[in-house]
Amino acid sequence: MPTSTVIVGSAVGLHARLASIIAEAAGNLDAHATLALPGGEPVDATSSLMIMTLGDGKGAAVEVASESAEAHDAIAALGAQDLDA
Amino acid sequence: MTDVLAPCPGRLLPITDTPDPVFADEIVGPGVAIDPKPGETTVVSPIAGRVVKVHPHAFVVLDTEGVGVLVHLGINTVRLDGKGFEVLVEQGATVAAGDPMVRWDPATVVGDGLSTVVPIVAMDRPRGSVPAPDPGEVQTGDLLFSIS
Repeated sequence: MPTSTVIVGSAVGLHARLASIIAEAAGNLDAHATLALPGGEPVDATSSLMIMTLGDGKGAAVEVASESAEAHDAIAALGAQDLDA
Repeated sequence: MTDVLAPCPGRLLPITDTPDPVFADEIVGPGVAIDPKPGETTVVSPIAGRVVKVHPHAFVVLDTEGVGVLVHLGINTVRLDGKGFEVLVEQGATVAAGDPMVRWDPATVVGDGLSTVVPIVAMDRPRGSVPAPDPGEVQTGDLLFSIS
């Protein structure tokens, strides 16, 4: 399963707003995607609750796993934004 | 069904009245909001379960039925970086409904773009699952809504 690493741009890590926006985008994709901290258990990218349990701060590296290149691109774009600005 | 109780006292609002589109559009999930009474307040857990996340300004409790409830103390209050909030519980702890979680005073939350409105949201649930509440005052521990 192809993986990519996204550096979380938000100053407060995977906060409610960012987690929910990622979860909604993941829910709109055709393919399944998971997010994980390096070495950690992957969580379903469509669950904002589970995404919030990852990553504590800005600059956290989060691993995206999905068969879909679109999923990687979409999540990378969202994750890199500072949506709390 | 999980009963979700008021984590703090104040005036009940529909979630759509939250001054933040991510909450108002139920992107985080369905629920209600409270315009909290000013004064030092101990915010309690709305359900029994495990504290999967706690920040000074927000926390998420997940129960054994898989219902996860987020309580977000104010809007954009993440910018306060914990100032004015006292966390009373540890991430990973198991709590009962009504257990103390965070102490704050809504009257200290002032500033551009800040609001004291407290959304109480059932995460990962469909939009519209929680009907708009009847307007009125709630006390800590009053039943807000039930969700499965």
